[in-house]
Amino acid sequence: MSNFLKLFNFEWNRFIKLYIILFGLVFIVQMIGLSYLIYDYKAMINLEIGKNHMSTEQFVDMYGMFGIDHLSISILFIAPIGISVAALLFYVPFIWYRDWFARNTFIYRLFMLPTSRMNLLFAKLATIIVGVLSIVAYQLILLVLYKGIISWTIPTAFRNDVSVLEMVMESSYLSIVLPGGVMEFLVAYGLGTMFVIIIFTAILMERSFRWLGAFLGALYIPAMAITFYAPLIIIELFYTSFPLYANELFYVFLVMWIIITVGSLLLSRYLLNRKVTV
Amino acid sequence: MIEVKEVEKKYGKKSVLSGMSFTAHKGEVTCLIGVNGSGKTTILNAIMGLTPFKKGDILIDGKRLHKEMYEKIAYIPDTMTMISSLKISEAFEFMNDFYTVWNQEKAQSLLTFFNLTTDMKISELSKGNKAKVNLVLGLALDVDYVLMDEPFSGIDIFSREEIANVFTSHLIENRGVIVTTHEIQDIEHLIDKAILINDGIVVKEFNAEEVREEQGMSIVDVMREVYRS
Repeated sequence: MSNFLKLFNFEWNRFIKLYIILFGLVFIVQMIGLSYLIYDYKAMINLEIGKNHMSTEQFVDMYGMFGIDHLSISILFIAPIGISVAALLFYVPFIWYRDWFARNTFIYRLFMLPTSRMNLLFAKLATIIVGVLSIVAYQLILLVLYKGIISWTIPTAFRNDVSVLEMVMESSYLSIVLPGGVMEFLVAYGLGTMFVIIIFTAILMERSFRWLGAFLGALYIPAMAITFYAPLIIIELFYTSFPLYANELFYVFLVMWIIITVGSLLLSRYLLNRKVTV
Repeated sequence: MIEVKEVEKKYGKKSVLSGMSFTAHKGEVTCLIGVNGSGKTTILNAIMGLTPFKKGDILIDGKRLHKEMYEKIAYIPDTMTMISSLKISEAFEFMNDFYTVWNQEKAQSLLTFFNLTTDMKISELSKGNKAKVNLVLGLALDVDYVLMDEPFSGIDIFSREEIANVFTSHLIENRGVIVTTHEIQDIEHLIDKAILINDGIVVKEFNAEEVREEQGMSIVDVMREVYRS
């Protein structure tokens, strides 16, 4: 096994505890949310149809049909996704800083491994990316499960069999986490990867030059954001009409993405090999 | 041979290494001696590529440090270098995964020597036992050079004796060893070359045995003489 894969495996095993907690949290809280919604809807059916003698059509007109899309507006469904996103964002700096500041200074060992230090960076990056993709895949599996539970508990006459894909597409925040097409997926996760690499570079600046590095790192992040959007800013400032077609604009952003990502990786390599200190 | 040539390093405006130069040979124990803040740890970190330096050069067998060199030179800092949540057996697995020069048999025999077992969790070890595990992780690498930073720091007398016994065993034979210590009396009889450091420069370099035999002075006596002057 290559040293990168060994390091990735090692980082992943360190991540797994947090991951299991997140998996458990998402499932338990969303199940509570779904159970509550189903219970509430069925209680309403019993009240309106059983006691108030409302017809099925009248009930559906008044309360709507129950589908998986009901879930996407429940706080008990959204909150665990938000917590997972926050935990993963927290993990981006944590994955580096714990090696310096945990009870033992593991960074000594990592830097003394007979392998390229860039393998450390790529292993940490891969851990974050695979972590995000795994939690997204897990959420998709859970949505299929929830759909099954709805089919099992809600009678057909009251059920809106919205597919998981439709639910995702209709939800503004879910469509960000779970993009509909391959291109949208590549754009969303490509931008996410670039963001993580920029943060890693800023952390390595801080670890190399301490306070000055922290200042430079704090400047680096917005500087890279401005650089990425520079083509749009230039167009906005100097053109009266928009001079690019959508596909041309996409290629412009692709070039900016390559410049920033490769540039940040090269800067990180320089810092890791020449400037960073234990 | 490890060659340190005119190495300079600053932390902010404070100069920590001010043109430090010395050599350490294979088969010799070289001891860096100096008061706190004299630059002992910094020069070891610099040799291992763990802290950048401004000027000068460091060569190991005539070559600058690169990633393959970590199979040739081991460093035992005065801080535990393995994750505390691991068991000793897992720490050994980690070392075995990454170092082709990891010697599992040697690691096991050293662990037995220290009365430790592989099922122990690092976080549950005392400070002395952690230092011993750290020592095992460094000494079980079949390398040409071993660097040790304050191996006796904060360790009780019995653990110190055990660690000093490891020094006298075959484990450091034929290796080049650079050690920094305040507890000079524990290993004085093992030191071939003593290098006194002050304010980031070498103030005196001498062969410990020659001074002992020709002038009847111990390393501590020489230290007193140098620092008083």
